[in-house]
Amino acid sequence: MPVARGDGSFQEVAARSAAVALLVLLAALANGWAWLVPVAVALAGGTYAAELSLDHAPVDAAAPAVAVGLLLAAELAYWSLDERERIPGEAGEGLRRAGFVALLGLGAFLVGATVLALADAIGGGGIALDLLGTVAAVGALLAIFAAALTERRPD
Amino acid sequence: MTRRGGPRLVGFAVLAALGLLGALALRRPELAVAAAPFALVLVLGTRLARDPGVAGELLLPSERTLEDTEVAADLRVEASRPVDRLELYLELPPEIELVEGTAARAIRLRAEEERELPVALRCATWGSFQLGTVRARARDPFRLVTWEARLGSRQRLKAYPREITLRRILAPVATQPFVGSEVSRTKGDGIEYADLRDFVPGDRVRTINWRASARRRNLVVNERHAEQNTDVVLFVDSFVDVRAAGRSVLEDAVRAAAALATRYLARRNRVGLVGFGGILRWLRPGLGATQRYHLIETLLETGVEPTYTWRHVDVIPARVLTPNSLVLALTPLVDPRFVTALEDLRGRRFDVAAVEIDPVPLVEPGRTEIERGAYRLWLLEREVLRSRLQAQGIGLATWTEGELENVLEEVRTYRRYSRLARV
Repeated sequence: MPVARGDGSFQEVAARSAAVALLVLLAALANGWAWLVPVAVALAGGTYAAELSLDHAPVDAAAPAVAVGLLLAAELAYWSLDERERIPGEAGEGLRRAGFVALLGLGAFLVGATVLALADAIGGGGIALDLLGTVAAVGALLAIFAAALTERRPD
Repeated sequence: MTRRGGPRLVGFAVLAALGLLGALALRRPELAVAAAPFALVLVLGTRLARDPGVAGELLLPSERTLEDTEVAADLRVEASRPVDRLELYLELPPEIELVEGTAARAIRLRAEEERELPVALRCATWGSFQLGTVRARARDPFRLVTWEARLGSRQRLKAYPREITLRRILAPVATQPFVGSEVSRTKGDGIEYADLRDFVPGDRVRTINWRASARRRNLVVNERHAEQNTDVVLFVDSFVDVRAAGRSVLEDAVRAAAALATRYLARRNRVGLVGFGGILRWLRPGLGATQRYHLIETLLETGVEPTYTWRHVDVIPARVLTPNSLVLALTPLVDPRFVTALEDLRGRRFDVAAVEIDPVPLVEPGRTEIERGAYRLWLLEREVLRSRLQAQGIGLATWTEGELENVLEEVRTYRRYSRLARV
C-alpha cells in the first residue's frame, strides 16, 4: 500500500484526509444527505489517488481491495439511508440484502483484479495504447452519463 | 409506473467518472480499477431494470360500517415481473386509523404473483370518507431505479354513528290524523283510556263499560285516546364545533340525532332533518327504514362550514317544518344565529324542545385573571340564555355526560309541568 511505504508526514496527511472523509460520511448518515455519500467516497478515493501519484511503484496490487472497500462503503451508506424511511419489510429481507451486497463486493473484487491484470499485462504500451485507453475511458464516461440522464426522465 | 433514478444512480455515476478521469490524468490504472465496479453496477443495473407492471387495489368488505368498529379490508397487489422490493403506502384520511401495523409496508413479488395483504381499519368517528388510494414504489435489486405509481381508485366508506339506546323519548304536544304510536289528545281508536260517554247507536258493544252503565242505569261506553303519529324535525346546529380531548359537540349532536331519529321512526312517526349552519341541509319528514338511511346519510355529511352570513328560519322550506311538528334542537348554544332561529320557531308556535350539548367542559378557563373573568362571564351569559329560552316555553336540558335518556327526562319533566303565565 502506498501509505505503508510512505514516510511519517505522508502517513499523517493520509490519516487526516481519511478522517475528513469519515466525518463527511457520518454527517451524510446522521442527516440523511444522500448527496454527501459520493463526496465522502470521493475524498477517500482522492486520498488513495494522491498516495498513488506520490508513490513510484509500478502497480499497486491492493487496488482491487480498495475498489471493494469503496464500493461497499458507498453501498452500505446508501442502504443505511434507505432504512431511514422505516418501511417494515418481510422476514429475511435484511439477510437477503446483505447477501446481495456481499456478492457485489465479491464481483467488484473479481472485476478489479481482472482490470488490474489487464493493465499490468499491457504495461507501458506506447501512444497507440494510450490513445485507445483514453477513447475507451471517454466512451465509458459517456455511457455512464447517458445511463444516468436517461434514468432521471420519468416514463 | 413512473421510472426514476435514485440517489445511488447519480452517486455511482459521479464516482465512476471521477475514477476514470483520475486514471487518465494521473496515468494510474489502479484508479480505473477503483472506478470499474461503480461503472459496472451502473450499467448492469440500468440495463437490467424493467418496469414491474404493478397493479393493486384496496378491497373493502362493505361500503358501510359503524364508528369504532373494525373493518377487515384487503390490499390486493400483483406484478407482471419480479419486484425485489415493493413499498406500499395506504393513504388514509385522518379519521381512519389502522388497528395494528403501519400504513407503509414492503413486500417482494415474483413474476405474475398476486398477493392479498390483510388491513384492519377503524373509523374513529362517524362520517363519509374517501379512501382506497395506495402509493406504490418498486425498487430493482441494485436499488438504482425506482418505479412509482398510485394504485387503486377512491372508494367511499360510510361510518354510521354508534347506536345510543333510548327507551323513552319526548312526546309531542300535537299529533296528526295518521296512525302511529303516540297517544293523541283527540279521542279515537287506541289503548289509553280517555273518557266515558253515553252509548249511541253504532257504538261497538265491546266498548260498553258495564260497571259504569250499571251505576248510571244507562249504557255508557269507554272513549280512548287515538294513537297517531307526528312529524318530528331534528334541528342540528352546525354553525360551530367545539373540540377538545378527542370529544366534539358536533359529533355528539349527530350521534344523538341518529339515535332520536331511529327511535321516533320506530314509533311510526315521520322524521325530518334540518342541518342549520354554514351550509343548510334539510330532509323532508318521512317514514320507515328508507327514511332512516336517508337521515343518517344526510347526517354523515354534516360538518362546520364557516360563514358570517346571518340565517333566518325563512330559508327552511315550509314542507320541512310542517305545522304541529315537534322541533327537537341539538345545539351547544354558542352561535347566536341558532339561538335566534329557535326563538323564531317558538314565536311561530312550533313545539320546540332543545338538548344543549354542553361545550363548557371542552373550554379552558384561561390562565390570566382577565381570561378567567371572561370565562365566568360567559358561563353567566349561558345561564341567562337558558332561562330566556325556558321562559319562552322551550324545554331545555344540558347534556354534559352520561346517558342521553336522562337529559330527555329533564326536558320531559319541564314540558309536563310548564304552564303559560299571563302577567
